[in-house]
Amino acid sequence: MAEERIGVFVCNCGTNIAKIVDAGAVTQAVKEIPGVAVARSYKYMCSNPGQEMIAADIREFALSRVVVAACSPRMHEGTFRKAVEHGGINPYFLEMANIREQCSWVHDDPVAATEKAKALTRAAVLRVKYHEPLEKRSVPMCPATLVIGGGIAGLTAALELAEADQQVYLVERQDRLGGNVARLDLTAPYLDSARDLLRDRVVRVTRHPRIQVLLESRLVELKGFVGNFRPTVKTAAGELLHLEVGSVVVCTGYQEFDAARVRQYGYGRLPDVVTSFELEVMLRKGKVETRAGKKPRHVAIIHCVGSRSREFHPYCSRVCCMTGLKYAHEIKSAIPDAYVSDLYVDMSAFGKGCEDFYKKAAEARTLFLMYEKNHAPEIRLAGTDPEDGMLITMKERLSGEQIEIPSDLVVLMVGMEPRSDSDEMAHLVNISRDKDGWFIESHPKLDPVATTTDGVFIAGACQSPKDIPDSVAQARAAAARILAKIDQGEIAVDAVYAEVREEYCSGCRVCNELCPYTAIEYDETARRSHVISAACKACGCCVAACPSGAIKARHFTDQQIFAQIEGVL
Amino acid sequence: MAFEPRIVGFLCNWCSYTGADLAGTSRVKYAPNVRIIRVMCSARIDPTFVLKALSEGADGVLICGCHPGDCHYVEGNYKAVRRFAALKRVLRAYGIEEERVRLEWVSASEGVRFAEIVNDMTERTRKLGPSRVKPQLMADAAAR
Repeated sequence: MAEERIGVFVCNCGTNIAKIVDAGAVTQAVKEIPGVAVARSYKYMCSNPGQEMIAADIREFALSRVVVAACSPRMHEGTFRKAVEHGGINPYFLEMANIREQCSWVHDDPVAATEKAKALTRAAVLRVKYHEPLEKRSVPMCPATLVIGGGIAGLTAALELAEADQQVYLVERQDRLGGNVARLDLTAPYLDSARDLLRDRVVRVTRHPRIQVLLESRLVELKGFVGNFRPTVKTAAGELLHLEVGSVVVCTGYQEFDAARVRQYGYGRLPDVVTSFELEVMLRKGKVETRAGKKPRHVAIIHCVGSRSREFHPYCSRVCCMTGLKYAHEIKSAIPDAYVSDLYVDMSAFGKGCEDFYKKAAEARTLFLMYEKNHAPEIRLAGTDPEDGMLITMKERLSGEQIEIPSDLVVLMVGMEPRSDSDEMAHLVNISRDKDGWFIESHPKLDPVATTTDGVFIAGACQSPKDIPDSVAQARAAAARILAKIDQGEIAVDAVYAEVREEYCSGCRVCNELCPYTAIEYDETARRSHVISAACKACGCCVAACPSGAIKARHFTDQQIFAQIEGVL
Repeated sequence: MAFEPRIVGFLCNWCSYTGADLAGTSRVKYAPNVRIIRVMCSARIDPTFVLKALSEGADGVLICGCHPGDCHYVEGNYKAVRRFAALKRVLRAYGIEEERVRLEWVSASEGVRFAEIVNDMTERTRKLGPSRVKPQLMADAAAR
């Protein structure tokens, strides 16, 4: 093997790494390794000067390989590959050592953490010697898009794409478009009608020549890969529709929390305890009344039903605080002499226009009563006849007193939860869910609409509880990402895939059966197997299985991993 | 000086490596004894990687993949399980304590679980004491 000239760049990440790991000591240690031509530490390797330093050193020291010891490669591998390429060598001549997420952030002892960082960096240095130049492949990009879910996010994404003259297939399980927004009356904080917001979009989507709306339909299979997906959709008529699309946007939204799970609220047992969605129905009819048909004099709105609780969902559902205030406002306008109280844990009015809305509700003499998280109020009938109304007992936190309030109608602000079929959807399109069941984005801050599967995007409340403006923003962002790819006409796919070195292949066909993507073909005449590189997703299963060692996992070769093992020990 | 086990971790890129990263972003603290090597899928982990690690002086090897049913590559983790079973037979045949090698499922959201596994494995390996594989190999080589 030719003598490689390796440059090692150890990042301080401000104090994120340097506080625990002695970056200088790591730099000194790697200088001892044969082949290391230059080693430096710098405060932020990912910054412009940091990247320029790498490129300049490649030229000045005629480096053939680069190691960056910094954050997780899942964070900045792409960044540093570009920097290395900018320096004039193949981008795959880079290896990263993860000394932040898997070292400085998880250890307290500076000595042990520094030793570990040295080992991880040494492993990267030994590995990078065996790196091979790889060329990015490009495949044609199919310009059509599959949008799953016809709620506000799906409608928005579909329109955005279709208005750029691209074909869209919009798949919706129900027999109509609109999703959960179609169940609302007015929206907070500006009190726009949800129907008005939707109507125009639904009409435009339905009539758009570039959008094919498939109602009462669902995705049953998704094959292929970015730019070349082959979804199968089961339509209302029961037929299987085979489509070809380049991208997929999942906009499957949320379902409401089942209020009956909170026993002390008596939902399902007490006739005048209703959910927020049931109140929306009353508001749309313009008739807020008890089951017996009376105008309620006392209305209580209970917040955080199923949300922010130890027992149910730990997260905040984000929209209920403002929706609760909206109800206070709407009930007051419908029944001016009603007493409305809001039973809340914390009032979150973080959005644009929301704090003003809260003030307005307070001025309209809504009674705000604070209860303790995990100590929900209890509701019971005031007498034997449900028509006598109910009594709510609670410990009011601000006064510290145990209080009892009368109520003719109780509204439960049910939170959002992942749809019960979200697990199935995650499997179909090969994306992950977080601990609460929401779909996981590629990066929580910097890449909020992409997923770990290239070409599959998420938008709206299927990613986490979200209001209408945030759902719309995400849907448009996903559409913009897709349009940018369509515009390029082809997409670069990773150069990492498996290949059969046919001279070693015995034609045993063990690998043929193992490949989950049927990407390995057998040539009957030559009696050899070979990998269809565009279909290979680089899992490496066949590589570990090949009895002759004939299959090579590019960028994850046995040699590279062996070198890494030697390095960490 | 007290014995500090050296453990090599092979983690799949999509679930377990991401889970380990999440432990970092969440600042969950755990023992510094495991050194992680990233592979795309637990199905890539050739049993020879484990044997190589043990022969290079590792006191333990930790393999982590996606939970059953959650594999990014459909079913790579099931293949990893079967290889793991075969590997255990090999270890037994060589007289290597089976507990030195462990297979665990860690999802992308299980940073805390990853930290717990590392701590537990470190503790157990510490109790087992240093692996005899490398010294034995060196002694054998010297005798030859």
